[in-house]
Amino acid sequence: MSRPDARAREELPDFLWLDEEEGLRSAASLGRSNLTEPSQRHTPGEVGLWIFILGDMTLFGVIFLVFMWERRSDSGVFKASAQQLIQPIGAFNTLVLLLSSYLVVRALFAHRIGRVQAAGRLILGAIGCAGVFAALKVTEYFVEVSEGNTPSTGLFFTFYFVLAGLHLLHVLVGTGLLSAWAVALRKGKQWPSAQRLVEGVAVYWHMVDLLWIAIFTLVYLVCAE
Amino acid sequence: MPTRILTICAWGGPATVVLALTGWLIAGVLPIPLGPDSTVDQVVGFYSQDTRVLAGLFLSTVAVCFVLPLIAVISVFMMRMEGRTPVLTFLQLVTGAATGVCLLLPLLLMTTIAFRPGRNPELTVTLNDIAWLLFITPVAPFMIQNVAIGVAILNDKRQTLPRWVAYVNFWVAFSFTPDVLAFFFHSGPFGWRGIFIFWLALTTYSVFLIVMSVTLLKAIRESAEPRAAEVAVAAA
Repeated sequence: MSRPDARAREELPDFLWLDEEEGLRSAASLGRSNLTEPSQRHTPGEVGLWIFILGDMTLFGVIFLVFMWERRSDSGVFKASAQQLIQPIGAFNTLVLLLSSYLVVRALFAHRIGRVQAAGRLILGAIGCAGVFAALKVTEYFVEVSEGNTPSTGLFFTFYFVLAGLHLLHVLVGTGLLSAWAVALRKGKQWPSAQRLVEGVAVYWHMVDLLWIAIFTLVYLVCAE
Repeated sequence: MPTRILTICAWGGPATVVLALTGWLIAGVLPIPLGPDSTVDQVVGFYSQDTRVLAGLFLSTVAVCFVLPLIAVISVFMMRMEGRTPVLTFLQLVTGAATGVCLLLPLLLMTTIAFRPGRNPELTVTLNDIAWLLFITPVAPFMIQNVAIGVAILNDKRQTLPRWVAYVNFWVAFSFTPDVLAFFFHSGPFGWRGIFIFWLALTTYSVFLIVMSVTLLKAIRESAEPRAAEVAVAAA
């Protein structure tokens, strides 16, 4: 829908002006009814958010590319190093994040239909998952370092620590964002005004989940093969 | 004539990018800078190339100071966004000033190294390490500045600047996080010359300067237009 800017509107004849207002109003009510039939045009969060999401994923993508490129020249060492990682912790953490993403989806739906209490509980669950993930990640770091595998051991461990560290930073930021959502819920913020914040947080959290799946697959599984 | 002054200051962003890159090309910092794994001969050789290195580095010391006028314009527009309690504006102002120093100091240090290249080579290598690590690693002021700008834009109901600019700022802040790794690696992609350190930060900081300049110039034009219209009405 092309909305004429304020300047152009002033130049329109009165009756067109009114039509335009009506059109906007009906479009808004259409947007509210998209619970049942989701609109094709709706961008989750807002358009600008996706600059960050895609930019962030591009950056991780470049790190993955360089990682795989370095692996080509040294696949034996990469394989031996990858086999020293604790795969069960990585796999369990993957499940924890997938569960947290599911809780976030449920919370978003609950918030949208006005079940604020239920949404609050689900968000607390997701924050709990983030805590479990971070605790296991730190444990894993300690185990690796105490076994003598530090970032300077070799290129594989450099990438392992950097990728997992950058991802952990994202988890921490995401926990802050989920908390902001929880605070908004506690204040009783209702759906239409909360939509941009909530959808933005949810999109960010799914990105964190997606990035971990890529890291787990490439660093823990592909390199160990 | 505040519009004209604002416009001139807002052009500081592209001016920094173009002039600093030119200075580095003249000095030989670009296309391939010295790295943490450069040999003593390479480091000493770089700084002993007569006045070309001195002139190029000096140009870049001047060029990076053009971020300061841009920071002033950002502050003016953040003040409009925040209104009565412009705490993020002040945060941006002080961190912005700090970033100016963080950019200027290492370049002055490099120029100083080129001033007397005949010294003991070990000293030159040490000074070069100090200059580069000072240049690359103090990222916190830059990141705080980006986040302050981003949060102010997202909280601004009048949309003084488009909301996507906030997200670009968050992305730029994130891209600086690997820079602290420059302390830990002497070669490879996370050494100070690596793709995720020097090249990434150079690219995203340039993006930041140009995006801020372009969007601020547009905002300056738009805020000048109503005033022009008022003048026309008053004249009629």
